[in-house]
Order: sequence, then structure tokens, then C-alpha cells
Amino acid sequence: MIKSLLKVHYSLRLPAAMLMVVLLMSGFRGLAQQTTVSGVVRDAEAPLPGVSILEKGTSQGTATDADGKFTLAVSSDAVLVFSFIGYKTQEIAVNGRTTIDLTMESDVTALSEVVVTALGVQKEVKSLGYAVQSVKGESVTKAREPNIINSLTGKVAGLQVQNQTDLFTAPEILLRGAAPLIVIDGVPSVDNDIWKINADDIESYNVLKGATASALYGSIGRNGAIMITTKRGNTFKTTVDVNSSTMFQPSFIRIPNVQTTYGNGNNGQYAYVDGSGSGTEGGGWIWGPKLDQRDASTPSGYFETTQFNSPVDPDTGELIPLPFLSRGKNNVKDFFQTGLISTNNISVAGGTDNSNFRISVSHTYQKGIVPNTQLNNTSFTVSGGYKLSKNLRADASLTYNRQYTDNFPERGYGPTNYLYNLILWTGPDVDVNDLRNYWIPGQEGLQQRHYNKSWYNNPYFQAYEYLRGYYRDNVFGQVKLDYNIAPGLDLTLRTGMNQYSLTRSYKEPKSYVAYDYISNGNYGLLNENSLNLNTDFIASYNKKLSDNIGLRVSVGGANRWRQFQSAFVKTDGLVIPGFYHLSNTQNPLQGIDRFDPTNLRDSKQEEKVNSVYGTLDLELWNSVFLGFTARNDWVSTLPVKNNSFFYPSVSLSGVISDFVDLTNLQVSFLKVRASWSRVTDGKIRALDDQLGAGYPYQHIPAYSPGVTWNNSPSLGFPSTLIDDDLKPETSDTFEAGLDARFFQGRLGIDVAVYQIHDFDNITAVPMSVSSGYESRLLNGGEFSRKGLEITLTAAPIKTNQFSWDIVVNWSKFHKYLESVYDGSDRLGFIHTGSRWDQIWGFAYSRTPGGRLILRDDGFPLNDPYTRYLGNTDPDFIFGVQNTFTYKAFSLGISVDGRIGGKMYSTTNQKMWWGGTHPGTVNQFRDDANAGLATYIADGVVVVEGDVTYDQDGKILTDTRIYAPNTTPVNYISWNINTSNAYLNHYYDQSFVKLREIVVTYNIPRQVLSKTFLTKASVSLVGRNLAVWTDLPEVDPDPGEDNLQTPSTRNMGFNLNFSF
Amino acid sequence: MKTLKILTLISILFCAHACKDFEELQLDPNRPVQAQPGLLLTAIETSVFSVIDVGSMLASRMIVFTDGAAAEQYYSWQRNSFNGYNRLRQISKMVEEAERTEQPNYVALALFLKSVAILEITKLYGYVPYSEAIQATDDIFKPAYDLQQDIYVQVLSDLEEANSTLDLDGGSIAGDVIYGGDLRKWKKLINSYTLRVLMSLSLKEGNATLNVKNRFKSIVDDPAGHPIFESNDDNAALAFVDKVNNRYPYLNNNNFKTAYYMEESFVNLLKDLEDQRLFTFADRKPDGSALPEDDFDAYGGLDGSAPLATNTNRLVDGEASRADARYYTDPVNEPSLLMSYAELEFTLAEAAARGWITSAAAEHYENGIRASMSFYNLDAAVQDDYLTHPGVVYSAADGIEMIVTQKYINFFMQGGWEPFYNHLRTGFPEFAVDGGGVLNDEQVPKRWMYPTLELQLNGENVTAAIDRQYTDDTINGVMWLLKPE
Repeated sequence: MIKSLLKVHYSLRLPAAMLMVVLLMSGFRGLAQQTTVSGVVRDAEAPLPGVSILEKGTSQGTATDADGKFTLAVSSDAVLVFSFIGYKTQEIAVNGRTTIDLTMESDVTALSEVVVTALGVQKEVKSLGYAVQSVKGESVTKAREPNIINSLTGKVAGLQVQNQTDLFTAPEILLRGAAPLIVIDGVPSVDNDIWKINADDIESYNVLKGATASALYGSIGRNGAIMITTKRGNTFKTTVDVNSSTMFQPSFIRIPNVQTTYGNGNNGQYAYVDGSGSGTEGGGWIWGPKLDQRDASTPSGYFETTQFNSPVDPDTGELIPLPFLSRGKNNVKDFFQTGLISTNNISVAGGTDNSNFRISVSHTYQKGIVPNTQLNNTSFTVSGGYKLSKNLRADASLTYNRQYTDNFPERGYGPTNYLYNLILWTGPDVDVNDLRNYWIPGQEGLQQRHYNKSWYNNPYFQAYEYLRGYYRDNVFGQVKLDYNIAPGLDLTLRTGMNQYSLTRSYKEPKSYVAYDYISNGNYGLLNENSLNLNTDFIASYNKKLSDNIGLRVSVGGANRWRQFQSAFVKTDGLVIPGFYHLSNTQNPLQGIDRFDPTNLRDSKQEEKVNSVYGTLDLELWNSVFLGFTARNDWVSTLPVKNNSFFYPSVSLSGVISDFVDLTNLQVSFLKVRASWSRVTDGKIRALDDQLGAGYPYQHIPAYSPGVTWNNSPSLGFPSTLIDDDLKPETSDTFEAGLDARFFQGRLGIDVAVYQIHDFDNITAVPMSVSSGYESRLLNGGEFSRKGLEITLTAAPIKTNQFSWDIVVNWSKFHKYLESVYDGSDRLGFIHTGSRWDQIWGFAYSRTPGGRLILRDDGFPLNDPYTRYLGNTDPDFIFGVQNTFTYKAFSLGISVDGRIGGKMYSTTNQKMWWGGTHPGTVNQFRDDANAGLATYIADGVVVVEGDVTYDQDGKILTDTRIYAPNTTPVNYISWNINTSNAYLNHYYDQSFVKLREIVVTYNIPRQVLSKTFLTKASVSLVGRNLAVWTDLPEVDPDPGEDNLQTPSTRNMGFNLNFSF
Repeated sequence: MKTLKILTLISILFCAHACKDFEELQLDPNRPVQAQPGLLLTAIETSVFSVIDVGSMLASRMIVFTDGAAAEQYYSWQRNSFNGYNRLRQISKMVEEAERTEQPNYVALALFLKSVAILEITKLYGYVPYSEAIQATDDIFKPAYDLQQDIYVQVLSDLEEANSTLDLDGGSIAGDVIYGGDLRKWKKLINSYTLRVLMSLSLKEGNATLNVKNRFKSIVDDPAGHPIFESNDDNAALAFVDKVNNRYPYLNNNNFKTAYYMEESFVNLLKDLEDQRLFTFADRKPDGSALPEDDFDAYGGLDGSAPLATNTNRLVDGEASRADARYYTDPVNEPSLLMSYAELEFTLAEAAARGWITSAAAEHYENGIRASMSFYNLDAAVQDDYLTHPGVVYSAADGIEMIVTQKYINFFMQGGWEPFYNHLRTGFPEFAVDGGGVLNDEQVPKRWMYPTLELQLNGENVTAAIDRQYTDDTINGVMWLLKPE
């Protein structure tokens, strides 16, 4: 009854369509009489509207109406093909009849599922010797995210998506611990722009988890791939689909709580003078006087002091003190506004037996929670195919996408961040609403108005004047020709294109505060242009050698080519404030990044890879599948002498349940699989930070630009010595798994275990800089990555009225250092055999028992050695999707999380440091405000004895004797110096998140039959609804906290209909 | 046929880009693989001649920090880095390019520049790698450590060679942002700097190998072969320019606006001597803002050795002067002086006071003061007046203390760590350690601990070096340079 739940994968339809095409081509149509056939098509419950009916061998066709009725004029010996998504396609010979009534059978045989594998080749799931997991495109179009990858969180075992809370910020994507390739319709999209693909255009995601699956992509497929298959027109009836989603961000699941008891100042004192932040203004700290203190001696009855909004006494010219009150209790919530994500899509699709087309237009508008920030994303897609001749078919698709915003927030710690200005450094004596007028009267355009003009920016000034524009045009698509030379023998030529042009603008108003300068006004402009072409030529031969042996052989060649150019130019001060134009510069224009002159923002790049490859697939008894692939690449990104390399892979899959009857054990299907592959990476990644991601000339030792001093340019030689015999990095992957289904498919489990051996890693091996270089770039270091992935699917309840489906994904993964280039037992701080994700850093000294050691003055003692502080990677990650359906209603609930691993929280550390953390509200602070040192840290002092260490800081001898610390210190000094020394601000990032709830009402067909609609649904949706974690103040989901934007709860509704 | 046509056309279209040769793609269009040495010289100069460092001002009790317990101020520092070797890499690349293009004057300059660079490193620790350093391209990845004496002997010989091989007629140099290619001034700098190095070895007067006294005298006595600075025009100055990345390093520095204040003992020294340079070094304190700018009472400082809370309390009470606003508002301000004429005169004065040379210490001392005051645009009348102040008039009995103290005043926001090293060598002026905040048992540290990375990456050599010099790698270890002989 509920169509959307019964729908099977789209790709099911494609083989059927292909079959149809073949049949159509070969069919011979004799002379026959015309007749008119009519009838009613229904399923087990009711008449079915929209069923496609085609006269085989012709372009004649129709579709059933809202009552399931159809009428079609055909020849009397015609064969009619009935097809509809979610049902088995049936062919019925007319045989002179005029009435044909038909009942369509649901197609729920999951075992014949087809998935898209490397190069866009479709294969049956049971034939795969490696792990692939699919996600339906439609499952992510209701509860919208601003990009498609966020939507995959928790839906694929082994895929870790770290959702960012900041506007227009891509999540970190890790597949088995490394960033996967994104492939659109078989064509790699190496620019990794996850914003350019519109979710409404996606039919399915197929995640190829290991290198074996993606080995045919060569080096770029080393870390697996996310294969995106877009929708194509495929019905004879032209259909229009409309999907509209509106999500609001009305509240927060995580927002830092700041204390509202003490105001701006230092040592309990504060008096505003001129906003310089010096002297009595307390240096910008929030360690000022207590707020709302009664004082009978003042006119207001409260303690009064001069403040930034104090009126000037006309007689004395001095500032008049104002009561020091907690006016800014709600600053954080007052400043942020309700965010909005609105997505609208209309698509039109149709076709004949010779052709198909689809046109889709979508627009996403996101309004940020920071005032005057937004993101627009528009896509226009057209795709289609046409049979040029009997054996030649052309397919093409083209998408134009534009991402544009006049302003989106900057991130990171510093005066460019809203949280910095608002949460860390606005004392609650300041009401943010008083800052809305952000120019000093009479100095509009010249000087912002704020309580501290040395360190901080008025957040409204920042929102409306400091503007970061982003305008990106993407064009991508492909042209594909399929030529059927002879039965079983096919040629395919495909060229895919990914192009983008990006303009970014940087407007910086006069008086804008940065750490090391106060702006004279600046305008910067970045332009990037990139073209990437991928061409494949594949010949494949399919042959059933006997009933028990099937063979498929392909050979192919490929070329991948990329050209990139960028330029950055910036003014050095503006002559006319507020006029953002390059001609308006005070000093000569700058071609380099102010902060990082070695960063090649002005860059030309070109690279290519030539490849040949082949595959061999053997099928035995339709139950044992053996696959081989081989590929050789020649790359431009390594020295020519080492630029050719070969990657083989082999995979085996066997359906045990075809040989052994396991039905007694309730096993309906059991498959085991194993695979091995070798994939080599032709590109050096180790130095990306210096030269920009993907820089193709990293193997060439060369000078970098240095400072330009008074018009004299300069060069410098980089600190990494490059081995002139670099070989490519290589990974060997071994993977094994099983796929078992029980109780007629009601319960399924898929398990994958893998071990990846990464060797010949191109590593910047550190060495003593007294040798002249800080590191050597060479083939050193071997790593192993080991993991386990489990997917559980179950349908615990299934009745006519009610069903409950569950998918559980669980995975774990760790990376280990196996060996180092010269037999050394360590690389940096990490020893061989141990995990690679260790955190090492500064620590205060502790006793072997873990107690803080304090100095004679009561402050903690620094440990002179760098210490192990934990690991970053989670112990495991999981996701659970529940779907309940009852009559026309469905309810989806998704929960996911990551357990284990540590992350640094800048927000927490700075809140303790600066005085805004609620934990700082205590008697010690009042004492410190009164000039008293009363805080006695919980720890010990060394009363006698000594400790000696080896060069790694391991204790060799220890004769220390301790006594409890008794020395009181000033509590404010304690926090300013140590940010509360008990916490090193690496926190356990474990969390469980209520990711999504979707309630959908599918309007019944009986209702729709009275309208022009064929399908309609309404959903109430919520995403990011709750988080459970021990990490205070911030959301652990992003995996990092460098002053993250508060994490919003997204709620709204979705309308979806077709006609 | 139609099919064939289409296939051919498409193949040609998409093959066009694929047919570029792999060799062609091995040329980086963005970065040169060879360079004129002058292009390297500019970057090296802007690094070596940038000596303005507030850290040394904290350690030398001229400035205090109030936003936390600064390690330099409270003498709680531990390790330092070997970053100075990065300069040596650039210098060795410059030599390589100079030899490739046959421009020997760059090689002469390199001898001087690398001497400056290695001395800055060895003064931090004691023994450090030098004879085997910067030879990674010859597969020396773990250089052995040299005795400090051997480094100084090598430096003195290199400086002599730099002076003798720098050929005034040997072709101009490009990219020189210090002297604009004036090789004679370079020669003056090389010799003046050599005198600084020799004076830094004053505790080694009795060392026959170094022969400090005679080396010093032979340079001073040979103005033709060994010219030295003659006026402020000869200063080794990196002038700042109001252009991106060329501006005064503390321009708009927020700590200078809100957290750095003048140190009390320094302010009091200037007040006691009625030294008008105070008015150019500092601004009035908040509670002195009603007084005229030239009133010494309008200025105050904080005790660098007092606990943070004591200083922040005094600060919010308005007792402390900030450094003069030009240090954080003037993009050009004053140049960075690797070495000044004033410093040279004080060095000559000290040499005279020690009997190394025969000229009059008082004269050099007065020249130094005048040069320093002229640098701050204080005119001759102010200078004359100052030189008559009882605390300034040269007295041979306290000669060295007076000379070193005046040299110290001359180093405000200049000279890198020279004022600190002069203190280690002579004990002058005394640095406050008894305010209750100092974290090194009321001692001024004498060195830094070796870098963590060195322990990891060159562990055997650094451990051997520690064992040969100190019982333990601590900041109070006394290195060879500071042991009198």
C-alpha cells in the first residue's frame, strides 16, 4: 500500500530497460491488424496509477490513469510491457484481446539487488567480492542538510562524517580512516566540492568501501569511493516532481553557557577610559567587578563605574559613571537569529523507447544564525539519451551549479570569529543590543564603536561590514557513447568534465581589529579556475560459455587531465573608506597572502594520468564469482623514472546457501567473500599544507617566494629535503566478509573485516634542523589500518497495516605505525607497533600517582617533556535507522554516535582563561577581586628528593617525597596562567545524537485520484535534535572545537508531489 | 560510417589534451629551481637584522607583561629551538648560487652572516653543531656538536676572511636592503661586529688561543685594513617601510596596547639620571596623565620580579606607563639595529677601560651616549646637559659598570638579547629577582635547555654534549663562554 516503502532500487529498472531496448531492436514487426486494448492495472490492494505500458518494438505507449485504467491502440499481435517502480515488469501478449486486466507483483527480492561499482559498471550484489553499501537518494531529500554528505551520517558502516556547525563548512569525511573519492555517474570529481550536487537529482549513493572496489580508479581510488548515480528520465509518461523543504533553526542543542556574575575588567576592577583596553580597562579580561552590587553611596544605589556608553559630563568633559549591572545576560541568544534552510526542486522527466530526458531545477537558500550571513545554491541539470542508430546509443548530462553568498562567517580562534567577540570577550555588563549602532557618531565608515577597540570587534560591525563573498560556478557532466558491435561485445567511450570558476571577495572595513593590525580598510580578490577531464574507452565482452560458466572481459584506456589556475590580489589599505575596489589601494597591490607569503595563491598547475586497465569476471554455477582487475598508470606528478605503476586486484564471492541447504537454520541466504588489491598513489600528499592541497609539483625541489622588502622580492629554500628517487605510495588491502539473511530475508547481517597495509609512504621524516633541513621527504614509514564493519538489517514486524524496519551500522578502525624508514623504532613521538592517532603535548607535572605537582608559589609545575595525552580516533562509530509505517503514515528515527577518542576544546579552555566560564563563579574569585590569594590548588609539593629522566622523559630515578600543597594563590592569576590546570582541555568526544525524525503522511491514491496529482506526501522533519555527551559547552560532532558555532536544532516540513 | 565519424571526432577532441609529454609536466611554473644570490640575500637580511624582540626586554627588566606569567620575565623558561639553523640553510643556498654565478662578494657576506647566525644559537645553549651542520645534502643528518671555543675560533677566522675577501671593486651586490650595496659599509660592519664578538669573550682574556685582547687591538689599530663604524650613518639598520610585511614588528600589537608596561627599575634608572630618552621610550602612566610630558614624575613602572597579581593590581590602579605609542602606532618607527655606532663606542670604551686599547674610555663613553641620544633625535644641548649629570659623568672607578649601564639604556627595544648577554658577562645592571614572583630560586638563568626535537632526532650527540658541559641540562648551567679564564 505504501508505495515509497516498497520501492526497490532504481537501478533495477535499468537492466530491464536495457533488455527492452535489445528486444526492441531485434524484434521483427510483421503486418498486423490494429486494435484497441483497454484494462485496469492494480496491485494486491488497489488500482495503480502511473503504470507505464509500452507496445514492444515500437514507441507507442501510455500510462494508467488515477483509477489504474488505460487504453492503447496497438496491433493485434503486439506484446505489451507493463512496468512500474517497485513492481516486477511483465510482458503480456495481446493475442487479439481488447481487454487486459493485470495485477502487478511487488518486487522485493533484495538478493537480485544491483549496485553501481567502479567505472559505473552495475553488478549484482551477490557477485561482489568486496563491501559496497547503498543509500537511496530519496531517503535524504525530506530532512534536508545544506550538502549531500552530511545526510549520509550514520547510514554507512565505516563512513565517518564529522558534521560542522559552521555555515557553509564541509564535513570531514573518512571512509576507513581516509578521505574517499567522490564519483558522479562513473566520473571522478576530484575537486571534492560536495556542495555542487543537488540531492533531488540523486538516485542512489553506493559507497565502495575498500581499495579493491575502487581499484579501477587507480591512485585516486586508493581510499574507496562514494559513487553517486543521478536520476534519468525513464517513463513514457512525462512526470513532474516537486519537492519543497523548509527547515528552521529555532534553538540550540549546544551553546556555551557563560557566567553572568562578573563583568569586564581585571582583578575585580574596571573603569572605561577610551576603549584602548589598557590600564583601568583591565586589558580586555572578563575578570572585573561583581555585577549588581548594592552601593548606597551612588545615585542608582548600585556600584557605579565609567563604561563605554557613559555620557560625557558637559562641564568637566569627563565620563559619568553608570551602574555596573548584568545587562547582557542573554547576549549570546540575543545576537543569533533563527536560521533557515529552504530547498525547492522541480524536475520533469520523460522518454520514449528511443530516448529519455530529465530536466531539474533546484534552489537552496540558507540563512545563517549570524545576522547578514547566508548561502544560496542553485542547480540546473539536463540529462538524456538517444539511440543514434540500431547499435549506437548516446547519453549525456550537464549540470550548472552556482553557489553564492555575499557573506558567510569566518571560523577559528581570533577577532574574526563571532564567538570570540561574543562568548569569550563580552562581559555581561555590556548588553549586545547596545552595540547595534556600530559606528561612532561622526566617524561613520572610519571607526567602529565598541567597548574595547584593541582586541575585539563589535559583532554587528563585523556582521554588516566585514564581508566574505563567495561565488562559485560549477559545470559538470559527461558524454557517453555505447556501441554494440556484436552480441556480447560492447564499446563504451565516456568523457566526463568537471569545471569550476571561483571568485572570493574579502571586504575589511576601516578600524577592523585583527590580532596584529587594525585595518586601514582592505579589499582582496581571489580567482580560481579549474578544468578536469576524464576520458575512458572500454571494450567489454560478455559470454555465457555454458550453463554453468559465464565470462565477462573488459579492456580499457583512460586519461585524466587537470588544469588549475589561481590568482590572489589584495589592497594595502583603502584610500576611500568603504569603497571596495582594487584601484582604491593606498600602497601597491599585493599578490600574496598577507599571513603566509609562502602560500602559492598565484598558481598554475597542470597534471595528467594515462592508464590502461582490464577486468575479468568469471561466474560459475551462478553462485561462485571470481573477479580480477589490473591497471597501469603513468602519472606526471612523480619523477618520470618512477612514474609508471601497476595495480592488480582479485576478489572471490561464493553463495554458500546455493550449495548447502540451510533452511533448517532459518538461513535464507549466505555468501562469503574475500578480496585483495594493491593500489598506488601517484601524488605526494605530505606537503599539502605548504603548497596547497593537490599541488602537482611537490616532488621538485625549488625556491619559494619570500618577503618582498621595500619592493625587493626574495626567495627562500624550503625546509624539507626531497629525495630525488621518490617512489609512489602503495596500499595493499585484504578484505573478507559475509552476507547472511535469515527468516526469509527478515533479518540480514553483513560483516566486513579488513587490513590495509600502507607502505612506501612518502613521509616528511623529521631530522635535526642543524643538518640544514627540518625533514626529509622520502619513502619511509609503513602503516597498517585494521577495521571491522557490521551492518544489520531487520524487519521485526511486518503486517499489512504496520511494519518496522531497522538498519544498524557499526564500525571500528585504527591505524598503526608499523615501521620507519631506517629501522628506527619511532616517528616523532610515536613508536612502531602503536596507534598513529596519539595526541602529544604540553602537560603540567604530575606524580606517578597522577596528582598535580605545585611549585613553592602554589602554581603548577611545567613538565619539561612533551607527554602522551590520549588518542583522537573513536573506539567505534554507529548509526541506527528505524522506520515505522502504519497505513499512510511513516515515521523514521535515526540515532548515531561516535564512542571514544579525544578532542581539544578551545571554547572551554578560553572560557576558563578569560573569566567567562560558569565554573569561575565562586568565593575564591570574590576573594581575588578583594586582592586576596585564597585558592589552594589540590595537589602536592615536592619537599625533598629528585627525579631524573631519560631523553624521552621516562623516569629513571625518583626519590621525591611529597606533602600536600598549602600555598594559596590569587584565583584570577591561577586561571590566567593555567586555564584551570586540572583540565588539559582534551575531552572525551563520545556522543550519541538523535540525528533525525521524519513523520510522513502519504496521501492515499483514493484521495489523489480526484486531483491531477499522482503522488503526494507531507512530512514533518527534524534533524540534529539532541545530543548526549560528557563534553561540556560544545558539540563533539565536528570532531574539533576551534570556537565552533553553536549547534542548532533544525526543524521543519517537507512537501513532495508528482503529476 | 556515421558512427565511425562520431567516434573519431570525439576521440580527437578528447585526446588533444592528453598528448602533452610527461617531461613537460615536470617543470613547476610557479617556483624557480635556480636563483640569483641577491634574491636570497634580501630574505636572509630581513631575518638576521630583525632583532627587535620584546622577550629580551622582559628578561632584561625593561618591560613587564601583565596578561600572564611570562617565562622570560619570571625566569621560568625551559627549552628553546634550533630555528636559527634555518637561516644557515638559506645562507648556504646563497653561497651555492653565488659560486654557480661566480659572484664571490656574496660568499664574503655569507661568512659574516653565518657567523652572526651561529653565535646566536651557541649563546643559547653552549655546545651546538657547526662543523658538521648544514650538510644534509652530504648525508649528515645527525651532526656532531662542537666545543663552544671551537665555534668562536672558527667565527673569528671567518670574520677575518670576510673582511679580507670582501672586494670593494669586485662587483656590486643586489638585493641589499641594509646598505644598498655599499660594500665599504659592509666592511665596517664586519669589523665592528668582530669587536662585539671579542668583547663578548671578555671573560676569556687569559685564553691564548683566542688571544682576545690582541685581536681587538689589531683591528682598532688598522683603520685602513679594518674600517669600523664612524657615525650613526654606518648603523647596521633594517629600516621599516609602510608596506605589507615591511612594517614595524609591533605595529598595532595588542599586548603593547594593553599588557606590556614599563619595568620599574628601568624607569627609575632613567628618572635618577634625568635621562630624557625616557620621554621617547614611554608614555605617561594613567595617574600621571595630568602632568606634563617632560615631568619625570608622570612615569612609572611595575616590578618585573613581583607576582602577576601584584602587578595587575598596580596596573589597574593606574601606576604603570606603557611603552611610547609609536612602538605600536608608527608603521615605520625606528629601524632594527643589528649593531649601532653607539654600541661600538661603548664597546671601545669598555676595551679602553679594560686596557685592551690605549684611547680614552671617557671619550668613547661620551661618543656612545651622544650617538644614542642623537638616534632618538635629542639635540646637542640635551646631550651636553645630560653628560654633566653627576650620575652620568664618567668615573674610571666604576668605569665598566657605567659603560655597560649606558650601553644597556641604549638597547631599549633594540639589540636582541645583547643587554641580557652583557648582564651575564658583566653582572651590570643588576636585574631584580627578589620581588616574590621569580620562578628560578631568585636567580637569573644563564642558558636554555636543548630543544625537545634535538633529544628525539639527534639524541646521542646532544646527550654527549650535555654530559661534557653540565651535570644536567638546566637553565642555570654555566657554559664555557661564561667561565672566566
